[in-house]
Amino acid sequence: MIEFINVKKTYGSGNLIATALENINFKIKKEEFVSFVGHSGAGKSTILKLIYAEEKPTSGEILFNGEDISKISSKQLPYHRRRIGTVFQDYKLLPKKTVYENVAFALEVSGYPSREIRESVPQILDIVGLSNKMGSYPHEISGGEQQRAAIARALVHRPALIIADEPTGNLDPISAWGIIQLLLKINKLGTTVVLATHDKDIVNNVKKRVITLDQGRVIRDHSKGRYAI
Amino acid sequence: MFLTISRTLKAGFQNFYRNGSLSVAAVSILTLSLLIISIIIVLTITANLGLKYIQDKIDIRVYFKSDTEESKMINFRSEILKYKEVKSADIVSKDRALSEFKANNSNKPEILKAIEAVEENPLLASVNIKAVDPEKYDVIANSIENSAYKEDIASINYQQYKLVIDRFNSTIQTIRKTGIFLFILFSLIAILITFNVIRMTIFNHGTEIEIMRLVGASNNYIRLPFVFEGIIYGTVAACIAIILLIPMVKVVTPYIIGSAYVNVVQTGFTTYFVLIFLIQLLLGTLLGVISSLLAIRRYLKI
Ligand SMILES: Nc1ncnc2c1ncn2[C@@H]1O[C@H](COP(=O)(O)OP(=O)(O)O)[C@@H](O)[C@H]1O
Ligand SMILES: [Mg+2]
Repeated sequence: MIEFINVKKTYGSGNLIATALENINFKIKKEEFVSFVGHSGAGKSTILKLIYAEEKPTSGEILFNGEDISKISSKQLPYHRRRIGTVFQDYKLLPKKTVYENVAFALEVSGYPSREIRESVPQILDIVGLSNKMGSYPHEISGGEQQRAAIARALVHRPALIIADEPTGNLDPISAWGIIQLLLKINKLGTTVVLATHDKDIVNNVKKRVITLDQGRVIRDHSKGRYAI
Repeated sequence: MFLTISRTLKAGFQNFYRNGSLSVAAVSILTLSLLIISIIIVLTITANLGLKYIQDKIDIRVYFKSDTEESKMINFRSEILKYKEVKSADIVSKDRALSEFKANNSNKPEILKAIEAVEENPLLASVNIKAVDPEKYDVIANSIENSAYKEDIASINYQQYKLVIDRFNSTIQTIRKTGIFLFILFSLIAILITFNVIRMTIFNHGTEIEIMRLVGASNNYIRLPFVFEGIIYGTVAACIAIILLIPMVKVVTPYIIGSAYVNVVQTGFTTYFVLIFLIQLLLGTLLGVISSLLAIRRYLKI
């Protein structure tokens, strides 16, 4: 599904050039669950941004279902984004919208008809276990629940891939594990999951593929990986 | 497509009324610059109507010496009518001149008394000539001055009208030039302010825009609310401007142009109001759209 070929990414220009990634090669197959681990600054977020085309690689190719997304046009970008759901550490929920409205927003702005929105949103909220919090505002629910709402929003397009960048970074261990189990459940239902984290306990308990990054390079890629740096 | 328009239009309206005092500022300054251009248009129309009114009154009066025979004047008239520049020519006899003079001065008894005191009719007979085009009075007057009748002619009266028209025209020119300068100035200020208001809206919607991009909203969907916001400012400004303009025209014009032309001008206006409103709407929307496109280009990363 995703293939990185000799990807290099630098930020800045001139004397201020900083290499974030160098010589990155890997393949992710459909329905895999892959964790990118590494210290802060290792390049995890940069890899995820390259996948959802928030950043373009300095050199190399990034194939998504066989097509090179490093050359994607701004017109095609929205369609690429609809194939991917994104989840972040800070949830990115709109504070003045209810849980339901936050999830519906993703469909509204992509031009889905209202009838379809009314059907899909409750279904997705049921999957993430928030059926009873539909009318609540983000500040009225816990961090774990906010992240579930964000995951529901990421899922509502029924994307083939979920990208989660430190989704448990702001959560206590119990809520964090709940989120990881939700991602595992979503993965079992057939969605590819790419996770970036530096949480050792989580990685060790998931027992899925782990790609370890250090200073912008892949230093390990194990199919039943553990957190080891 | 329809969904995109209706949803982004709704978002545009939300931006508009959630911006509160910022919206008021943008609308006020847009209204001001629309009012300026409307006033220029109004003045131009007024001037043109007034000018037409004056031009209808203009003629050349060729006064004949008091001992000229009437047959000579008849000949003169029929000859003058052959000029292609001449629209009409009427003979006003001494008697008719006197009765017209009395009628015109019926409320000034001293003048009437004075004229009755003179035994003989002191007024001269004249031929009143109207030209097809007011520019042609010079030509007509010149050819009369050099005609065979010049011995019988006492005076040719037309110059002062030309002065009035020239002064009228040059005043209009000045008003129009200052007006257009002011309009451009205020339009630039209006664009600047509206641009900043929309820029604020874009900043206030940072998270929303970020989410829209992440969930794959089309670029148009992200842009349109701000374009509509600009259009709404312009449209509201146009409506306010026309509402302010109507009483201004009704109340103020009589003072500016004098009561003689008011009727002519005001009847002319009702037909022009629709046109003026359309122009305001067009310019208002244009200014709003320019402002929002500038803000979007500069501050909306899409
Ligand atoms: N927008 C940016 N501009 C400049 N440097 C950046 C930018 N984003 C990331 N970097 C740098 O790239 C490197 C990798 O960052 P990142 O991918 O965010 O790491 P991680 O997510 O693993 O903490 C870091 O050295 C970081 O400082
Ligand atoms: Mg990161």
